[in-house]
Amino acid sequence: MIKIENLEKVYKTEEVETTALNGINLHVKAGEFVSIMGPSGCGKSTLLNVMGLLDKPEGGSYKFIDTELLTLNDRERSNFRKRNMGFVFQNFNLIDELTVFENIELPLIYNKVPATERKKLVNEIIERMNIVNRSGHFPQQLSGGQQQRVAVARALVTKPKLVLADEPTGNLDSSHGNEVMELLCELNETGTTIVMVTHSSHDASFSNRIINLKDGHVISEKINKSRNEELI
Amino acid sequence: MFKLNLKIALRNLWRNRGITFINIGGLSIALAAFILVMIYAAYETGFDKSNPNYDRIYQVGRSMQDLKTNYTPPPLAQAIKDNFPEVEAVGKMKSGAFELPLFTNEGTVFTQNFLMADYSATQMFKIKPDYGLEKPKGESVSLFLPRAYMQTLFPHKKDNKPELVGLASKSAGQSGEVIGSVFVDPHSNISFDALYISNDLGKGEDYGFNNYQTYIQVKKGTDIYNLEQKINKLYQTELAKNSGNDDRFKSTTIFLDPLKNLHLKPKTGSDANYKVLISVSVLGFLILIIACINFTNLSIAQAAKRAKEVGVKKVMGAYRVQLAIQFLTEILIQCIAATVLSLIFAELVLPGFNSLFLVNLTIWQSNSSLIWQLPLILFFITLIAGIYPAMVLSGFKPAAVLKGNFQTSKQSYWLRNSLLVIQFSIAVIFITGLLIINSQLKYMRTQDVGFKADQVIYVKNIALFSDPAIFEPIREKIMKISGVKSVTVTNSIPDGSKLGTNTYAVDAKKELISFLDVDFDYFETLNIKLKEGRPFSKEFKTDAVNSAILNESATAKYGLTNPLGKTIRGCDMDYKIVGIIKDFKAQGFEKAVEPTIYTLKNPCGNPKTMIMIKIEESKMSETLASLKNQWLNINPKDGDNFRYQFLDQLYGKLFQKQEQLQSVFFAAAILTIFIAILGLFAFAKYITNGRIKEIAVRKILGASDLQIMKLINTSFFTMVILANLISWPVAYILTKKWLGTFAYRIEMPVLPFIISALITILLTIITVSLQATKAVKAKPVDALKYE
Ligand SMILES: Nc1ncnc2c1ncn2[C@@H]1O[C@H](COP(=O)(O)OP(=O)(O)O)[C@@H](O)[C@H]1O
Ligand SMILES: [Mg+2]
Repeated sequence: MIKIENLEKVYKTEEVETTALNGINLHVKAGEFVSIMGPSGCGKSTLLNVMGLLDKPEGGSYKFIDTELLTLNDRERSNFRKRNMGFVFQNFNLIDELTVFENIELPLIYNKVPATERKKLVNEIIERMNIVNRSGHFPQQLSGGQQQRVAVARALVTKPKLVLADEPTGNLDSSHGNEVMELLCELNETGTTIVMVTHSSHDASFSNRIINLKDGHVISEKINKSRNEELI
Repeated sequence: MFKLNLKIALRNLWRNRGITFINIGGLSIALAAFILVMIYAAYETGFDKSNPNYDRIYQVGRSMQDLKTNYTPPPLAQAIKDNFPEVEAVGKMKSGAFELPLFTNEGTVFTQNFLMADYSATQMFKIKPDYGLEKPKGESVSLFLPRAYMQTLFPHKKDNKPELVGLASKSAGQSGEVIGSVFVDPHSNISFDALYISNDLGKGEDYGFNNYQTYIQVKKGTDIYNLEQKINKLYQTELAKNSGNDDRFKSTTIFLDPLKNLHLKPKTGSDANYKVLISVSVLGFLILIIACINFTNLSIAQAAKRAKEVGVKKVMGAYRVQLAIQFLTEILIQCIAATVLSLIFAELVLPGFNSLFLVNLTIWQSNSSLIWQLPLILFFITLIAGIYPAMVLSGFKPAAVLKGNFQTSKQSYWLRNSLLVIQFSIAVIFITGLLIINSQLKYMRTQDVGFKADQVIYVKNIALFSDPAIFEPIREKIMKISGVKSVTVTNSIPDGSKLGTNTYAVDAKKELISFLDVDFDYFETLNIKLKEGRPFSKEFKTDAVNSAILNESATAKYGLTNPLGKTIRGCDMDYKIVGIIKDFKAQGFEKAVEPTIYTLKNPCGNPKTMIMIKIEESKMSETLASLKNQWLNINPKDGDNFRYQFLDQLYGKLFQKQEQLQSVFFAAAILTIFIAILGLFAFAKYITNGRIKEIAVRKILGASDLQIMKLINTSFFTMVILANLISWPVAYILTKKWLGTFAYRIEMPVLPFIISALITILLTIITVSLQATKAVKAKPVDALKYE
């Protein structure tokens, strides 16, 4: 589904140039769950941002199914993103002024889903996520695990083809982290493609394939046998 | 989506309610000031606007060497009408200040400003008596009075028949006919309280009688410049026909002055109204700008808080425009709230404003254009206040923002600080200006003006007393009343009125100087100091015939070193100079004292009618009562009504314009500094909130509270200093120009500049420290816990 070739990303600041991505090649099949690992500063987040069309690389190509995405203009990128992708962040990034329900509803609004349909979809996912009695709360009134579940719900509610997760368990204790990982797995089992950045090999063990980055290169790739056997 | 955005907006505003309140409050105060200015401007520019031919009416004026006048000769109007088909109508008027008592058994009124108008002038200006106006027949003159006067004179009148009123005094036994009442539009250039309408005015008077105002109404599309030339040519030929080769008229030309300029900047009068309007408008505008700056600055300062929201929404596919519109809408909501509040504020301060500017404005009735102007202003302030924050906020890159440790970028740093500096510069200008105005006014109030107006009353009188012998018995009767110290009569009182001028010659030296006709005891009544010689005295028989007293300026003008006994010639008379008085500022502080000659007898002057009486302070009320009781007996020709004013109050009116200015500056200074401080207060709050972590770290590393206070204050302190440096030269130039309008003025003081710097610095430090204290007092552990 995703074909990334020779991706280059350079950050230029006044004093230094940092090459964050240095010729990345990466293919992701539909329905795959890919983990990206590597030391801090190796370019994991940058890669995810580029894949999510949040950042523009300097060179290379990025094909999604058969569409080349790097040549799109801002508006086309916005449109593509909101139809096809969902995001989960390490620090949740929920909007503090909106309730749980409203936060989850937000992407549907941007996708111009009618109000009654929205209500149905949001309620469905709130039930699935086990946060029904929290739907009127504001983010600050929830625990970290609950907040991340809301964030996952928000990423899923539009039924995206691709979910991008940047250290989704990074701010959570292990039991809450596991809950989130199980959610992602369930999601993957229903056919959603997932690319996840993580530091934890425990979390990575949930995925089909683990990509190791260093200094903006892919240095190794490992098929997660146990997972794949399970799948088969 | 709108609903959700609205929710975000309202919840945000509520969470920062302190700052929201400051923001909206500041803007609404500024808007209230601006609304007042707008109503005032609409009023000032709206004189006669209700006349459908407003744009096509012109006043005819004459321009002489150094004088422009709207006094025109009566035959000119008819000549214009006869010669130029593009002139639809002409009208003549004559007006003047002459106080005439009118009375019935029911009551008495005093008409002060009469207007004589021919029938076509009343048609041109849509002056419509209440029961209609019939064209007067033949030579007859119809008198109309304002409704209030008619009510006083005929309280029980139900019909519309003409009535008889007594004129002047009962003993005079004269009466006249009043046709009916007329509405006097206070919003017109044509004002009067007694209207005499006739078929024609100035019949039989030729081109030498420049006693009338002439108005013309032209057809649509008339080339006014061309018409002006043609009328001028006509005037020249007519003049040549009528007055032969009198040189004086050769250089006189005709000009046309549009009706729409007559109130604000007539060619023949002062453009003070216009200047006041312009300065008040600039003030209103500046205050509004300052308040908008608060919005801009606070919105940008808030940016870090909103960054996450922007990032998340962009991740979800929001377009930049959508976000920009969202932020603009948020500001619009606040502006709407501010507008509603501002209307309430404006309504509250309107009475004060009205009494300051001597107008009678209301927010809604007088000016329906506010209904479309307000939304327009709302739109503009939303744009001014919101466009930059909307651009900045909507421009955030999600990848950068969502990392979690986002800092507001440096790009807006300069803008924010410059805006603060601008705000404070404006405030400093007004504070400095106010202080300098105060010093000048204080100087004017305490400076010796050369005469004493206290305890002097000016008695209005219609009897003529040009010959001292006629006034003598009246003076004697007045002097008999206990408490009266001295009495005199003159043809102009020291209330700022301009004196007549004439050419007088000493030896061979001819000069144009002012003249004032006085009676015995004039200088004593006003306590004017003598420099040499003697005042007029009854002991010298010649004083009533040909003695003159000059002021210092006049002797200087003629260059007389030994003036006493010299002869001064003017108005076909030879006067002997018997005394020199010290200059006194009868005209106030703006004009230098005119070289003036004072005489008892002057064939060229207006008749003496203005009586001045100096009364002992302790006996003031009983003396006034006696004068009132005995007036008919004292001065039978004036009649039944003893009417007086206090001279010091009349003279005080000369200060009114400056006092107005002082009030405007007072309001402007308070408002600008207040709004700027409000903005600073909220701004400092954000800045310190943003530095809480930094402060905590510094404290852990051992910084003292004072060091941290200094750290936070430094940048603000620098900005105020900068604001002061910027505004000093501006304030200096402006106030210097203003002081230049006074003939008698203070030296440019230094203190106001220092004081306004101290005020702004002090207020800034207090404001910032109030905020900083909170950050300093917080326990560092608490501050670092959030992360
Ligand atoms: N906005 C930026 N400006 C400059 N350099 C950046 C920026 N974002 C990331 N970098 C640099 O790019 C490299 C990769 O960063 P990142 O993708 O965030 O690493 P990580 O693998 O820890 O997620 C790092 O060296 C980082 O310092
Ligand atoms: Mg990262």
